[in-house]
Amino acid sequence: MGTHKLLEVSNLSVEFETYGGVVKAVRGVDFGVDAGEVLAIVGESGCGKSVTVQSIMGIIPMPPGKITGGSAKLKGSEILGLDAQAANQFRGKEIGMIFQDPMTSLNPTMTIGAQIAETLKVHRGLSTKQATEIASELLIRTRIPEAQKRLHQYPFEFSGGMLQRAMIAQSLACSPSLLIADEPTTALDVTIQAQILDLLKELQSRDGMAIILITHDLAVVARTAQNVCVMYAGQIVEQGSVDEIFYKSAHPYTLGLKLAMPSNVSQQNKKLEPIPGSPPDLFSPPSGCGYAARCPHAMRICHKENPPLFSDPREPHHAARCWLQAPGAPKTEGLHQLHLIASHGE
Amino acid sequence: MLKYTFGRILSGLVTIWFIATATFLAMHAVPGDPLMNEKATTPEIRENLARKYGLDKPIAEQYVIYLGNMVQGDFGISFTQQNRKVNDIIQDHFPVSAALGILAITFAALGGILWGALTALYRNQLPDIIIMFLVILGISVPSFVFAALGQLLLVNINQWFNISFLPVAGWGTFSHMIVPSLVLGLGTMALLTRLMRSSMLEIVNEDFIRTARAKGLSPSRIFFQHQLRNAILPVVTVLGPQIAAITTGGFVVELVFAIPGLGRYFVQAVQQLDYTVIMGTTVFYGAFLVFMVILVDIIYGFIDPRVRLK
Repeated sequence: MGTHKLLEVSNLSVEFETYGGVVKAVRGVDFGVDAGEVLAIVGESGCGKSVTVQSIMGIIPMPPGKITGGSAKLKGSEILGLDAQAANQFRGKEIGMIFQDPMTSLNPTMTIGAQIAETLKVHRGLSTKQATEIASELLIRTRIPEAQKRLHQYPFEFSGGMLQRAMIAQSLACSPSLLIADEPTTALDVTIQAQILDLLKELQSRDGMAIILITHDLAVVARTAQNVCVMYAGQIVEQGSVDEIFYKSAHPYTLGLKLAMPSNVSQQNKKLEPIPGSPPDLFSPPSGCGYAARCPHAMRICHKENPPLFSDPREPHHAARCWLQAPGAPKTEGLHQLHLIASHGE
Repeated sequence: MLKYTFGRILSGLVTIWFIATATFLAMHAVPGDPLMNEKATTPEIRENLARKYGLDKPIAEQYVIYLGNMVQGDFGISFTQQNRKVNDIIQDHFPVSAALGILAITFAALGGILWGALTALYRNQLPDIIIMFLVILGISVPSFVFAALGQLLLVNINQWFNISFLPVAGWGTFSHMIVPSLVLGLGTMALLTRLMRSSMLEIVNEDFIRTARAKGLSPSRIFFQHQLRNAILPVVTVLGPQIAAITTGGFVVELVFAIPGLGRYFVQAVQQLDYTVIMGTTVFYGAFLVFMVILVDIIYGFIDPRVRLK
């Protein structure tokens, strides 16, 4: 292991210029991924999770999108704001990516085999024949039956689950060290979801590839991830290991998400509690905490000043962006209290 | 694919039959008959002629006789041009119109795709604005204006350089075809440019283009491999009807450039109520268009696998 993390993102900020004004979609996001780690980024629609990873890949439409600050380092070298030619040195090669809707994410007029082979031809300079052979192996690895026949079929001849497998096969073509999965199971039904997640986990543990998994589904997180970032209104509000996030939630938003999640424990005959209200308008983000307006525990300072990330010196990876974690803040029922003074960020 | 092609041909035949029937009825609904213009018309001669051509029979019977001959490929003899078979007229003059039309549609399709792709690439920049201005002009100005302007331009160019750069009118060599087919294809080219542009701009925002970028493909590869082929689909779809527009538009252009195409006979026949020529040319043109549309459908099947296999 080198001294660098596989991917290190710091203070990433992204804006979109629209007719209605400038949307501050991502407002200073920091996170890192180690080789072989599965990191989940969780949050509700519009919280900036997809924009974050698409900015790193350089595939947000620019304009209207604009990366206004920060850096993203892959194995120590900057990959943010590269031109297409430089970015193509890592896109598809070092970092593979799969998307939410496999039905529309593949070219409808090219065979599956040709689309997978294309990546290999471009990055490894293979001939069509060699590339197609590897493509066939990849389809077998992603558990697509009758791979030879499937190679010559078009996307409309595949089911949704099979298409997502084909997408995964395509993204794995050049054995990337990182796979970004942007809501890979959202468009699929539940049984297929489980199969795809199992497949991702299996490939990850076999090849030692790191995965960034974007999702709004906490059940998916619990099933697959080791570490979690919870995003809200363009910022990371809590980060930590899966256990820390689930059992020692230190941010009221994480707590709210958990209460809104159905459980299958039969004795607990509890109601699902939705989080009232809606996320703040990112045209003019509030000066205080983004969650304050919906937070049942909000204090006066929460509306005035955005909290920094507080973290626990004993569990340095667990951090929460909440004033309730500040020294001297009132104790709150259900909320894990970080034991800390050290603060960073913001 | 075979079943698909067969089905298209069958429905094409029904269309042709419908065209023949409708033309037959419309033609007979017009007052008068082909013998009205004859100079020496005593009632006896008229009657004799009517009997000879079968015009004295009831319309239903004429219709059956006509269809019978048509199925055997015989369109009969012209009423106004002595001893000229309609089949011969078509044989002599259609190749001229067809050559002009095919060249025009080729210009239109290639130009439309090229300009459309270009305007999409330079969206809202100078090349886009200039081309789109010309496109509006091409769509709104009728072809005979362009035909006259084209001729005028040619005359001037030939005068300035004192050489025959390109012939101003007439028919015979390939150089005779260039300007008329350009003029003929201009409106269609403009239309296809617009279609191609909007289709290209729509494709840019498709998910699979995002995937292609995430795969690390070069912009030129994404453009040719992923964008262009998908964007061409709507253009191919309208190509069939546009062939109809070009062949009918051809009558005017043929007239201006003094090209001996079929169009002149078609128009003349209607004026003179030359029954057999009207029927012959209309059914023939109808069949030609139906055939072209089927051809386009089959080509479409090759470009878009979803059509082919369903």
